[in-house]
Amino acid sequence: MAGMDGGSGGAVAPPSLPGAQLLKQGAEARVYRGRFLGKSTIVKERFPKRYRHPVLDEKLTKRRTAQEVRSILRCRKAGISAPVVYFVDYTTNCIFLEEITDSITIREHITSTQASGRSTETLYGLADRIGQILAKMHDEDVVHGDLTTSNMLLVGEEDGKPGKLVLIDFGLSYISALPEDKGVDMYVLEKAFLSTHPNTEALFQRLLKSYIAASKKAPAVIKKLDEVRLRGRKRSMVG
Amino acid sequence: GPLFFFLPQAGQMQLTQDLELFPDQSVTQLLFRDVKNCAELRKMLKVYLSLFPLLPKVVDLFQTLVAANKAVHLQKVGKMKTRSLYSEIIFSLSPTNNISEAFRRFGVSDSDSAVLVVLVHNKEDIFNKDDVTSKVDGQQIPADQISTLSDMAKIKKLYKVTPQEEKCGTVLDAAVLRMAAKEVV
Ligand SMILES: Nc1ncnc2c1ncn2[C@@H]1O[C@H](COP(=O)(O)OP(=O)(O)O)[C@@H](O)[C@H]1O
Ligand SMILES: [Mg+2]
Repeated sequence: MAGMDGGSGGAVAPPSLPGAQLLKQGAEARVYRGRFLGKSTIVKERFPKRYRHPVLDEKLTKRRTAQEVRSILRCRKAGISAPVVYFVDYTTNCIFLEEITDSITIREHITSTQASGRSTETLYGLADRIGQILAKMHDEDVVHGDLTTSNMLLVGEEDGKPGKLVLIDFGLSYISALPEDKGVDMYVLEKAFLSTHPNTEALFQRLLKSYIAASKKAPAVIKKLDEVRLRGRKRSMVG
Repeated sequence: GPLFFFLPQAGQMQLTQDLELFPDQSVTQLLFRDVKNCAELRKMLKVYLSLFPLLPKVVDLFQTLVAANKAVHLQKVGKMKTRSLYSEIIFSLSPTNNISEAFRRFGVSDSDSAVLVVLVHNKEDIFNKDDVTSKVDGQQIPADQISTLSDMAKIKKLYKVTPQEEKCGTVLDAAVLRMAAKEVV
């Protein structure tokens, strides 16, 4: 069994898809692109981690695989775009997902906009749409758990024509109605957003404003977000 | 050379697709309309579902490919929930884990007039189409015309497709996602 000496090394054979190409070797998962049943497909393979107890590790890995599938289903049922799941191999914890073709991550989009010298104000429309989608996701009680600008894809954005936003990477997601959990979700995004993209405070405020406008439940979430921010600051003053 | 095999091509009577995860396995699909002997076939398949499955509730050939891939996978890892590969394909089409419900809803009924036949075979095997066409009293038409025969309203109901969901994807997307997710819902 490949699981025996786990590790993040090459213990697990890559999926036998023709032309499979490694896109990303992460800490938790390898992401491949290949063809599956004739379609462009992304394979996300969660591999065993040596430093965790094998039984606990297998449990966590299974749970993340299941959560990813569950939350994608919940989102799509609510009309929130996420990749279709084609197939799940629960014995190797591989998820076969629709490839969102011709997409770029929001991270790449913001970075290239800034690099080209355009004002971040040109991104306000995008910030509005991100705020709306996250509000909708939270209204469905899906807490993403790893909101970053790399975990949002943009398809078909052209000058003057807004593209479609697709949420991905739901492995750390869970279902919760608690404003606190949603507040932490937004806090994680804020931290990631501002540290990845310099000088985007106003842009992120725009995103939050749109989030608030889009959901009746948002004020309670923002209240928690403020509390979490304060806690974060106190902790960093002590540490 | 590959010309001797059935390559996927629009307008072809039957379509063959390799299962990439199982390099020696292929799936061939045949579509029939105006089928007159469903009742008879149903009796025959009840006792002997290793012959072939009859699938009337399919939106797209990709849906059945996904079901076939899953059935072959579960057979290889010893985790089939039903007795044969072909009954497992029918079960795999269902969005729920209830086996008898799956057969009732996704198997053929006496009144069906259009059916899809899905065969899993060794890639190198010469596929004998007559094995199927001799038993089905109906007109074979190109397999990729399946969507012209499928009852969309019924399929949407079977998979409980929400109107919001249709804004971000197709009925096929909704069906395939539920088939993949049923173990975790
Ligand atoms: N369905 C998809 N379509 C297109 N690209 C994808 C898809 N899923 C993932 N990617 C690409 O692969 C990267 C890593 O995938 P992700 O699911 O975020 O895994 P990780 O947990 O390693 O971050 C994404 O940032 C994106 O660039
Ligand atoms: Mg990611």
